Order: sequence, then structure tokens, then C-alpha cells
Amino acid sequence: MSGPAIATSGLTKRFGSLTAVDSLDLVVRRGEVFGYLGPNGAGKTTTIRLLLDFIRPTSGRAEVLGGSGADPAIRRQVGYLPASLDVDPRWCARDLLSFYGELRGGRDLAWERALLERFDLDPARPVGQLSSGNRRKVGIVQAVAHRPPLLVLDEPTSGLDPLLQHEFQLLVRDLVADGATVFLSSHVLPEVEALADRVAILRRGVLVALATVDELRRSARTRIDLRLAEPPAAADLAAFAGLAEVSATDATIHLVVEGPVDPVLKAAARLTVQAIATHDADLEDVFLTYYQGETSGRGESSGRGDGAGRGEETGR
Amino acid sequence: MTIALRMIRDRHRSTGGWLVGVVALVLFTIALYPSVKGQVEVEELMRNLPDAFRGMIGYDAAVPLTSPPGYLHARMFSTLAPLLFVVFGIGAGAQAIGGLEESGRLEPLLANPVTRSRVAGERCLAAVVLLVALVVVFAGATFGLAAAFDALAGVRLSGLLGACAAAWALALLHLALAYAVGAATGRRGPAVAAAAAVAVGGYLVYSLLALVEALAPLRYLTPWYWYLQRNMLVHGVPAGAVVAPVALSVLLFVAGWALFLRRDLR
Repeated sequence: MSGPAIATSGLTKRFGSLTAVDSLDLVVRRGEVFGYLGPNGAGKTTTIRLLLDFIRPTSGRAEVLGGSGADPAIRRQVGYLPASLDVDPRWCARDLLSFYGELRGGRDLAWERALLERFDLDPARPVGQLSSGNRRKVGIVQAVAHRPPLLVLDEPTSGLDPLLQHEFQLLVRDLVADGATVFLSSHVLPEVEALADRVAILRRGVLVALATVDELRRSARTRIDLRLAEPPAAADLAAFAGLAEVSATDATIHLVVEGPVDPVLKAAARLTVQAIATHDADLEDVFLTYYQGETSGRGESSGRGDGAGRGEETGR
Repeated sequence: MTIALRMIRDRHRSTGGWLVGVVALVLFTIALYPSVKGQVEVEELMRNLPDAFRGMIGYDAAVPLTSPPGYLHARMFSTLAPLLFVVFGIGAGAQAIGGLEESGRLEPLLANPVTRSRVAGERCLAAVVLLVALVVVFAGATFGLAAAFDALAGVRLSGLLGACAAAWALALLHLALAYAVGAATGRRGPAVAAAAAVAVGGYLVYSLLALVEALAPLRYLTPWYWYLQRNMLVHGVPAGAVVAPVALSVLLFVAGWALFLRRDLR
């Protein structure tokens, strides 16, 4: 078990004039949870389909667990949760698990039973009769039924209620604790933020950011409110010039800081501050920034402003 | 064989319907035979019909329509049986890859430790086996019921079996075409359309060419001529009626399989 779980180099896929994935260089290390983020149509599912050899690259190459995604020996070690699990609607979970189990060459019945119980699934109900959430659960169960070393999950928790999302996260953590690698594609941040170590952000087929969740947080804007004893004078506000945003309502100064918050502390030292409220680094903002195409170097941050903006509520 | 067995199991209900339907049709057809048996007028009527029409229903002057082989050929082997088999074959062939892929069910299957080659091969095999099952049941029902209704006189057993084999081969050809187009396009619609067009077109060409003596050599271009050229129940089966469609089918299967391995899934 050496080498990366997934490695792509110059991976490109064009459909006619559309470049769905453009010169993608990606390395997913063994044992990590890798978040693969991007708006709908960014090329996330195309990437996954390239990895699993459902489609062939226009140029470049992709390696999965050191081999080809077309190789049955490699696929045996991959658990794939498609964005929508399309199987014969007359199949029930039991049919699906026995069929796939046979193809995979062996089943762990106790583990399968535990999974079905964990997600409260009736193994005898035809998939076609299930709600979309329950179908999602069947998808999750079939993806992990053979305890694969690599999980490829496409929008895993869409359609799941918060309780089940939580259960799913626990399951993924269990599997990762046992050494599994997870490639987690999603268009919403919270799904990835809760699990991922590193995050890649894809936009129109191009990788626009690759960072740890912490790095993203660090580069995020922090909102800080300073509650003063009395409304600030204009000169007081001027001391904060240079920050991203400065405003005041009554005796409270609202600040938005990019990067380290040190300038705020220096400037605030002259004031009579009764309370400081910092709001959690708004990762969603960073994320939306990438989505909207402002790729002005944020997110590629390498260790500037250590620990800045780790939101803690203080002084209340 | 897991994939082939799964496909057969998934289609067992609709196939069961087909089997029951085929047996029922054989029963209705043969049960009518005793009432036709002694009717001389039928033969008179046939002689007065236009050549094209007689050709279409497989009339053969040497085999009276009121004799068992004449009746079985006209009512079943030249019309109903090949038509049913071809329709069934097109459905099974189009579903094997094209239908599966179009419904999105191919990718979850291929995410398992199986090669595309294996999926294509096993599902092709399953479609062929389903067609064999249909024809075998038809042959059994025809033989059994014909014996029961005294409609076997003059029918050679080898001719009956051979005619069933030839009908199977004709349907296999259309199955293979639907399979190949489905495998090449990943869609069911074009697969059904192409195979149905060849079936209908082939039949039309066969009937029209029966009218024009000068174009007779062209008849060999249509698979329906290979199958319908004579009453196989009496005259036996021309080897070409089985060998030619099977050989072409193999070519189509290989072409579909090769294209499927090379292309992107939809």
C-alpha cells in the first residue's frame, strides 16, 4: 500500500467544443478524505467517470490505487456511490447486495446486516418503492459493503436528512480510521467541510484551488464586532482604515478582516472595548468567491496568519 | 455467469409472459386446424389469389393448405412465429446494452470488478439464451399440440425442428443487429429502430420481389427469403436458412462488442 490513492496528470476531457476537465493534476494521498468541490457542471462527475474508465481521457492520464480504473482488480478495491443510484427498480437491497457481492467475490454478511440496521433499511423493499433518501442509503450501503480501501462518493448526502448525514459522517470516519481513502465530490461546502482534510475546488473543468480546510479558513474573511463604551468618533474609525470593511452602528464597530486580525488588535488598543465578537471564518464566502471566478490568489495561501480568524465568541 | 443469470432473472417475468402468449397462440392456431382440414374451398380460394399474396402467406402449390404442413406453415411458420421471435429478439438485443446504458444502470454495474468485455459478452449470451427458450417452448408446444389435434400428418420432425431453428436464426439476426446498434450508441431507441427497419424492410423487399421475376436473384439479399423460400416442414431446411443468419449475427455481435469497448459511456 504505497503511492497515492488517486493520481491524475494533465487529465483532460473534451466533449466536442466543451472542455469538461482541463489539464487536471491531482494527487489524493492514501488515508485522507479529499473534498472535491465545485458548482454543478464544473466537471466533478466527469472526473469520477474518467477515474472509473466509464469515459476515456482526451489526453493525460489517471491512476487509481496505482493502476487503471478499468482493471477489475482495482475496481474490487473501490466503492462507488453514484450521484443517483440507477438500478432495476424491482431489485431490493438484498438483491443488489447479493448480486454485487457475487461480482466482488465474497460478502461480509454481518457487516452488511449492520449497515442495513445502521441506516434503518428494509432489505426486502424494492428500490423503486423507496424514497429518494432511502435510495441514497441503499447507495451508501452498496458502496461500502465490501469495505473498499477507496471510496468514491458523488454528492453522498444529497437527499439525506441531518440525522442521516451525521450517521453517514460517522460511517466515513469509521472507515477512514480503518485506513480507507475517501474521494468526496460535492457542490455544497458543509458536506465536505465536516469530513475533508484537503479540498480541491474545480470551476469549469479547471482546478482553481487546492488547500487544507484550515488553510481555506485562514484565508477567509473574519468578521469582528467591537462593542465600545460610547459611539466611536470618526478618528477612531480611521484607525481601522486598510481593513476590508469598516462600519459602525451606535457604539459597535463592524469590521471585516482578510487574513491576520493583528491590525484590529493594535488599533483597538486605544479604545475602550467592552466586548469583542468574532464570527466564524466564513468558509462559504471563500467558496463562493471561487465559484464566481475571483481567483485572486486566495486559498493558495501557505501559512500566512497562523490561526487568524478561528472564530471564537468572546467577551459576552 | 453472474451477469447473464442476473439479466435472465430480471427478464424472467416479461419472458414468462411471452412464453405463455406463444403457447396460447400455438394452441389457438392448431385448435382451429380440425375445422379447416376437410375444406376443399380453401384450396380453391388460394388458387384464385394473386401470386404476391400467396407468396406472402407462404403458399406452396405442392402442399395443400388444408394438409397439416400447409396449414402450420401458412398460419404459423410463415407469419406468426417469425414475427413474434423477431420482435422478442429485437427487444432483448436492444436491452442488453443500449437499454441498460440509457437507463443509467450500466455504470453502477461497471463500478464492480468486471470488465466491459465481460458485461457485453454475458448480456449478449443472456439475450440469445432467452430467445432460445422462447423458440424451444414454441417448438415443444407446436409438436405437442399438433400431435394432440391430429395435425402432424405429413410433417417431418426434422423439418419441424429445422424450421424452428431457422426461425430462431432469423430472429437472432435481428437481435444481433439491435444488440450491435445498442452497444455502439448506448441507446435503446436507435437499436430498436434499426432492427425493426431491417425486419420490415426485409419483409417488404421479399414480398415485392416475389412479384417481379426479373429481380428474383435479388431475393437472396433479404433474410426473409432465406427463411421463407420453401415449406420447411415438408421440404426440409436449406442450410443457408440457419448458417447465414447465424454467421451474420456473430459478425454483428463482435462489431457491437468491439465498438462498446472503445467508446465513452453515455
